[in-house]
Amino acid sequence: MSSLLARFAGNIYWLGRYLERAENIARILHINETYGRDDPQGPDWHRVLRLYSDEKRFLAEHEDTSPAAILRFYVLDRNNPSSISYAIAEARENARSVRHLISTEMWTQLNIFSSEVRALGQRDLRINTLASAANLVITGCQTFEGIAEGTFFRGEPWCFYQIGKYLERADQTTRILDISFDRLLLDKDDSVSMVQWNLLLRSVSAYHAYRNRHPGFSRPHDIATFLLYDGEFPRAVALCVQRLTERLQDIETRHGDRRGVNVETTRRAIEFSLETGPGSELTPKKLHRFLDGLQIELGSVSNAIGEAYFT
Amino acid sequence: MLKTKNASLLDGYDAGEFYCEMMGKRGLSHTREIRNRLNAFDIAALRQRARSAGQELLDLGITFTVYSDRDAIDRVLPFDVIPRVLSPGDWNTIETGVKQRVAALNAFLHDIYHKQHVLKDGIIPADLVLGNEDYREEMCDVDVPHGSYVHICGTDIVRDDKGRLRVLEDNARCPSGVSYVIENRHLMMRTFPDLAEGIPIADVDSYGAQLARAMAAVAPKDVSYPTVVLLSPGVYNSAYFEHVYLAREMGSPLVEGRDLIVENDKVYMRTTNGLEQVHVIYRRIDDDFLDPEAFRSDSTLGVPGLFRAYRKGNVTLANAVGAGVADDKAVYAYMPRIIRYYLNEDPILESVPTNICREAKGLAKTLDNLDRLVTKPVGEAGGYGVVIGPRASKRELKDLRAKLQKDPSNYISQPMVKLSVCPTLIGRAIEPRHVDLRPFALTGNTTWVLPGGLTRVALKRGSLVVNSSQGGGSKDTWVLV
Repeated sequence: MSSLLARFAGNIYWLGRYLERAENIARILHINETYGRDDPQGPDWHRVLRLYSDEKRFLAEHEDTSPAAILRFYVLDRNNPSSISYAIAEARENARSVRHLISTEMWTQLNIFSSEVRALGQRDLRINTLASAANLVITGCQTFEGIAEGTFFRGEPWCFYQIGKYLERADQTTRILDISFDRLLLDKDDSVSMVQWNLLLRSVSAYHAYRNRHPGFSRPHDIATFLLYDGEFPRAVALCVQRLTERLQDIETRHGDRRGVNVETTRRAIEFSLETGPGSELTPKKLHRFLDGLQIELGSVSNAIGEAYFT
Repeated sequence: MLKTKNASLLDGYDAGEFYCEMMGKRGLSHTREIRNRLNAFDIAALRQRARSAGQELLDLGITFTVYSDRDAIDRVLPFDVIPRVLSPGDWNTIETGVKQRVAALNAFLHDIYHKQHVLKDGIIPADLVLGNEDYREEMCDVDVPHGSYVHICGTDIVRDDKGRLRVLEDNARCPSGVSYVIENRHLMMRTFPDLAEGIPIADVDSYGAQLARAMAAVAPKDVSYPTVVLLSPGVYNSAYFEHVYLAREMGSPLVEGRDLIVENDKVYMRTTNGLEQVHVIYRRIDDDFLDPEAFRSDSTLGVPGLFRAYRKGNVTLANAVGAGVADDKAVYAYMPRIIRYYLNEDPILESVPTNICREAKGLAKTLDNLDRLVTKPVGEAGGYGVVIGPRASKRELKDLRAKLQKDPSNYISQPMVKLSVCPTLIGRAIEPRHVDLRPFALTGNTTWVLPGGLTRVALKRGSLVVNSSQGGGSKDTWVLV
């Protein structure tokens, strides 16, 4: 018998999603800034807008399209659902609703962390401060995750937390891959692109793991395959999908909630896409189309979970 | 550097004409050890610890949230680090006195919603009860489990300049503040372990378990494993932290109205696996908002049909619907008589002597002493219309006199109580500040009182207002055993 309120299941799912989202936005801003260091033009921030499909919305709301304005949009703008401030504020509001279901340590850390994020300002977006602001966010999210690992009771609420986290992570990995890939394949100079490939790997904490798997040169195709499929890399899309599948099964079998027919259908669609893959001759266009498809399918799973469990 | 000898913390502290909870008239024996230890602190060390306690409250999110257009601002209830100490003897008086009062309140509520002997016998005027806006006719002949109406009771108690304990008012609806009692203790033990070490202080940690037990005890008949939930107005409510705290301590779901649904006069909550029946609801929502079908139809916080389910006995509400009439100011004036009537005992805790202006004697006494008394309209809440005689202008007193003569039954009057004080850290000094005490009593089939209660302190010099909205803070309350 289940006593988890449907509304709480949603709150916990979103708690997991928003924290994962904040961490990944910080990762993306950080890597984009780093890519631009060698570029006389500076980082191309419009690329981040395209990555999150925010271009239209941003341009409609902003006359100022300077790098500073885009950074403000992604870090400080509390009205922008894809900003760090928004994600952390939402994570805290969701945690507030389920505060009696999570550990006190989780709540306390998030509470302190969110006040640190609230204190971020314009001064943290400069070329010499952005990295440390991004780091603050990444570390804060990771600390929360560590505390959850050590203190969160492994009941049904935990399953929904994990599902939210892995869904968001899978989605974000596809985006990070997307932002890097077309740019890197355009670069003809091998020594430059080597540095940049390594940056990409570092941005998702995959550098050492990838080196282990593929000693020697980094080949774009190998890197993409690694980020999509590696069964031991915690941010690989396939591994995220596998983890969320396990938690969905826990909900059905251990907690006896069998309302997930549609969830199953949408989940299988992703598995099928991953099995089919982007094809052997990897071009940026093909990969982009493939990643786009995955993002849409992840969205369908999320909607199905919401309909099945949160209302 | 030269250190001044004998510069003890409490040296220079003077409670003046008021009774001091720490000193009494000339040094209370039960607080001697605590005073000695306090005296060993210098003010800088005390301030340092007070700051870290305040930061901890923010970090833990023990806050109430004030929402503005753009921002959610978290505020803490100011915490004073010097504890308020109660002797075993005082606590015994408070505990037995509160139990007696709760027993009388429950007997009174059962009576006025059934045979109404108390009205027929002329103990309290019928119109005062039946015409009261918190009297719920819908509750007539409804039987509640164990005759318990006031499951959670907060009794506001003060001490006068003679050191006598007196009840200021009863809170029989949704009294709040108990989470601060327990959090203040945790905070105190973390920041001042050396002050408390070895001192026999009564434990406050069992409140959640006692609450869960009381709620289970009043479940509808034949339910062996009742599902208990806490019904909150939601995260925007200023007491939300307390709702979270209590739900967690009871191990109960913290629900909102939208999570509940009534079908076939039974209450269910929406879970991830569909509907699950609910048997007991500890509600932190006023009667008016509970059920738009039965009460205010514009309520979005409540659950349509909840009252129907309640009348049928399929769900228990704590506190009971209609309990509010018992903590009315006018009814308060009759409490000593109500206690004698139902229990055939003298009140253990005295009330503040109250002149009932609907009675000729009370009216005459009030009119003769208007400039010395506190006069309160009985129908108003939140201190509205209260006239403090010694602080009122001639014109105000003249207006009041006219109102009293026109509508005497709308008024009561009381002498001004010189509230006791407690040493309190104010800036760089220890100064006396006025305090009150709200013990919490839980009643299922029996009554249990949490040792201690919430000590609220008026942080403004000379102020008698302890409410958090008007510059009040709180202290840890130590009951010595």
